[in-house]
Amino acid sequence: MTGLGATMVRAGRRLLSSLPALFGVLVFTFLLMRVLPGDPAVFFASGPNAGKEEIEQIRKQMGLDKSVPEQLVFYLSDIGHGNLGRSMMTGQPVLKDLRERLPASLELTFTALLIALIAAVPLGVLAALRPGSIVDHGVRLFCALGVCVPTFVSGLLLIYVFYYLLGLAPDPTGRIDVFTSVPPPRTGFLLIDFLLAGDIEGWWTACKQLILPAVSMALFVIAPLARITRASMLVSLGSDFVRTARSVGLSWRKVVVTYALRNAILPVITIAGIVFSTMLGANVLVEKVFSWPGVASYALDALLSSDYAPVQGFVLLMASLFVLVNLVVDICYGIADPRVSIG
Amino acid sequence: MRFVSFRSASSVLATTALLLIATAPSQAQTRAETLRYVTGASVNTLDPNIPGSTRESFALSMSTYDRLVAFGRKQLNGKWVFDLDKITGELAESYEVSPDGLKLTFRLRKDAKFQDGSPVTAEDVKWSLDRCVTAPILGKAQLLTGSLTSADQFKVVDPLTIEVTLPKPDKLALPNLATVYPMIINSKVAKEHATPDDPWATAWLKEHTAGSGAYVVESFKPGEQVIAKRNEAWNRGSPDKPAFFKRVIIQSVPEPATRANLVERGDADLVVDLQASDVQSLEAKGKLKVISTPQYNSITFVSMNNQIPPFDNVNVRRAIAFALPYDDMFKAALFGRGAPLFGATWPDGKPLNGIYPFQQPLKTDLDKAREYLKAAGLPEGFSTTFSFNVGQASTAEPMAALVKESLAKIGIKVDIQKLPDAQMSTQINEKKLPFFTEGIVAWLPSTDYFYRNFYTGNQRWNYSSINNPELAAIAQEARFEPDKAQYEEAGRKLNAMHFDLMPQVMLWQPNQDAVMASSIEGYTYEFHRQVDYRDVSRK
Repeated sequence: MTGLGATMVRAGRRLLSSLPALFGVLVFTFLLMRVLPGDPAVFFASGPNAGKEEIEQIRKQMGLDKSVPEQLVFYLSDIGHGNLGRSMMTGQPVLKDLRERLPASLELTFTALLIALIAAVPLGVLAALRPGSIVDHGVRLFCALGVCVPTFVSGLLLIYVFYYLLGLAPDPTGRIDVFTSVPPPRTGFLLIDFLLAGDIEGWWTACKQLILPAVSMALFVIAPLARITRASMLVSLGSDFVRTARSVGLSWRKVVVTYALRNAILPVITIAGIVFSTMLGANVLVEKVFSWPGVASYALDALLSSDYAPVQGFVLLMASLFVLVNLVVDICYGIADPRVSIG
Repeated sequence: MRFVSFRSASSVLATTALLLIATAPSQAQTRAETLRYVTGASVNTLDPNIPGSTRESFALSMSTYDRLVAFGRKQLNGKWVFDLDKITGELAESYEVSPDGLKLTFRLRKDAKFQDGSPVTAEDVKWSLDRCVTAPILGKAQLLTGSLTSADQFKVVDPLTIEVTLPKPDKLALPNLATVYPMIINSKVAKEHATPDDPWATAWLKEHTAGSGAYVVESFKPGEQVIAKRNEAWNRGSPDKPAFFKRVIIQSVPEPATRANLVERGDADLVVDLQASDVQSLEAKGKLKVISTPQYNSITFVSMNNQIPPFDNVNVRRAIAFALPYDDMFKAALFGRGAPLFGATWPDGKPLNGIYPFQQPLKTDLDKAREYLKAAGLPEGFSTTFSFNVGQASTAEPMAALVKESLAKIGIKVDIQKLPDAQMSTQINEKKLPFFTEGIVAWLPSTDYFYRNFYTGNQRWNYSSINNPELAAIAQEARFEPDKAQYEEAGRKLNAMHFDLMPQVMLWQPNQDAVMASSIEGYTYEFHRQVDYRDVSRK
């Protein structure tokens, strides 16, 4: 109990100390967007008849007619009121866009990470148990392939094989078949919402839609996870306590899983946390290829058209998520190895 | 119970991760009555008048709102295209143009109803047109091109008659009323949502529709998809009946390869913006219907800034015009899918007619190009940059490489500059790019309209920044020229000046390649370069 309490206190302190960093990110992104070349007003006034007047009007609408310090003050006060501005691209408030799209990205990333972990940890353990063997080399080859093939290539390849050639996968557009009705949104995670609505058929539709993008993302991150598992297992297997456990005649399974793996899992958790954060931002290509309505493809579109508000909102969201993921990793540490909480 | 099924289902997922079952056949029935249209961009507003609205938004608004009048259609080389010269009534049962051309009278259909069931009245029409010329929206600049500038010009005569007065007889006044912006809005509903700051309800109409069109928006997810259902009461189509499809799904699929796959597998019914290479291979397979129409109201060109040296020298511009590798560019960028605007033969050295865009007698002739460079006093050539925007990279990138290669042969060193779209627009607007490629489109493609908008004034669309008082005067005069022969003569003069001054080099009119299931019929190339969902049906 005290261990858990200490973890929570530490987590709270962490959260507080990350606030200045978040503020820094906020100001930095704001300034960065303004120094980037390209006038969004001109871009958005691209209709066949948009002249100077229209450009001025859009500039005003986006608040660009004021000086940069003024804009910053307005922006910070808006953020304080929970207003992230309005996207010119979708015409919606950024907060609404992000709220609608974040679950899509999270669902995809979680699933991909889960698939990656399910594949990577056993692979890493196998490789560590027989270092230098054919299994080890096999794992190494698989990891290398996964890392060197960019996600959009593996994505397009998966689509080509499983959708175009074999017709096994549903059409790779969006989170759900266009003809299936969406469940009442509760969490925004379709897999959970369908279950809450008791619609198993719908759940399966959403699930099928999720598999290809999740697998193409997972392929890319299996390598770091498997390598870390392998390295950390090797250390753990060579340590005194494993030798002791072996010598007292504990079962192979107990030695490997309970003693070695439990000790080896800490770095894997750290890496999984980092991998998760990067995946969220980096899955833009997968989101594009699969028309996945997530936050990353949204931010990329916004960036290309110099739509300031969504990009700023996205960066803020990512920074906050990174802080949160770090917290979760900390807490997981405390649970996996209570010694971490001491001190 | 639910929990149990979750566990069994998730174990299925874990063990047979990639073993998927095919799409359930139970959806087949609704499929036949649904049109699934996939596109790269997305509908971002339900009111096309909002600055920043996309072409997809234009197309949707054509189906959700009616206008007073609509363009007819005609056959061009065996393909249906919109007809600028044939204007038919949409909400107007009939219209009259007074003999002096100053008064347009529209008689509304008695049976026309808004989607909420209330009748369409002349009051609604007036409010909508007033909004178009008064509110700070895109319609204002468009209607200006048809001499429609003030609310005083629209008068309600009786509940079913509205009169439009013009200061001068303007050929483009009537066609302007058939374009995207002057849509007729249910004024009672809109007024309910107007605020003192926003008297024209622009904020509300962006996310809601209050029209009388053939389709009602069922769900609208910007950036993802729009689902529209048929308005059963709508009868403004040519055969006087509701639109064919019960539902239309307009879905954004950013990856062009995926769009091609979708339509080839039969999951999507219709797509217009594929890559030229994909269209070519789909056409070769012969399973789908491919309708390729040259976008006769659009042009791709290489532009030179006539104010920046050395392009301010006409001989430099002529040198470029004869040094461009036309055939190779046309093949590399478009796979030859389009109508070339080079390689014409003018027997007596004069333009064949007064229509713009027109084919110029240009072909790659490096010796001629060298002569012009010498005449310009630059026999050794010069260095410059050639810019294009990222959004057009698939066609512009191979083109730029060829331009660079070909110009190198006459001593012009070209640096290729690939700019993000917003940056490119900004630089064009500020007139900073010396040499670049762009595409333009005009909804109402008449010769004077093109010349006035794209070759005069210090405005953004004057890409080449040409400043020629004579050209400007002829174009301005032609606008109100009632006599057809005189107008044609003015057009010929303008075209001859274009070839002589060579402000920019017109390259081609790219094809609009519409790829569709073989059962889809009635596709028409529309002025907004999107599909009008009311046109199409399934056999």
